Amino acid sequence: MMGEALQVVGVLESLEAIAQYVKGAAKAAQLDPAQAYNLRLAVDEIATNIITHGYEDAGLTGEIVLWATCTPETLTIHLEDEGKAYNPHAWQAEVTPELCQQPPEQRPLGGLGVYLAMRSVDQFRYERVGDRNHTEFVIFRNPS
Amino acid sequence: MNIEIQTIGDIQVIALAGDVDANTAPKVQQEILPLALPQSKILLNLTNVPYMSSAGLRMLLSLYRQTTAKQGQLVLVGLGQDIRRTMAVTGFLNFFTTCDSLELGLTVFKRENH
Repeated sequence: MMGEALQVVGVLESLEAIAQYVKGAAKAAQLDPAQAYNLRLAVDEIATNIITHGYEDAGLTGEIVLWATCTPETLTIHLEDEGKAYNPHAWQAEVTPELCQQPPEQRPLGGLGVYLAMRSVDQFRYERVGDRNHTEFVIFRNPS
Repeated sequence: MNIEIQTIGDIQVIALAGDVDANTAPKVQQEILPLALPQSKILLNLTNVPYMSSAGLRMLLSLYRQTTAKQGQLVLVGLGQDIRRTMAVTGFLNFFTTCDSLELGLTVFKRENH
């Protein structure tokens, strides 16, 4: 593991601390600015969904734990929570590139976050382990 | 998040400073949606917004719908590269009027009675 893990309460006010943590890891891994922004965006969007759907909508409270791992090729942010199980790949289906071409009066307001998250990292993994959700965001370092 | 609202001629200029995420977007929306009155001209200055998530995009879409429904005009200025990229991926750039600078933005509103 790279540095210390971060443990925060699963509320929207924690998004700033999560962002600072991801920015710090991106800097330590020497990601370029666009990669660092995209990684922060992906983690922010999924953390927002965990907080609002996994915890608040489900009437649950809990924490989110983040940690980073680094290899010469990749930086991975791991995110673990005790909220309701979710399937980000089902969320993804809600928004499509075709939908993004629709006029603004017709397009739905939801689903954009997951759409953005999936497109912002090189690999996205999700697993339900016991009563926890484990999500991983992978960025390839120094792409040629 | 800091929100500054001033009037230049008949244009309401709203300058945001700070990250727009799911935590801050509701506050921004609450402050600026009421400004979308009939025929209002709104310029949203994002020069000092380094980050915007989908919560910010939803806020922009709501503002767009309000101004359009009330025959108003909305212009965005000062979009950073990262936010521009996010707006391109989601198709938002297709329907928003955007300008690089505040000075340019002030000139694109349609004049009335002339």
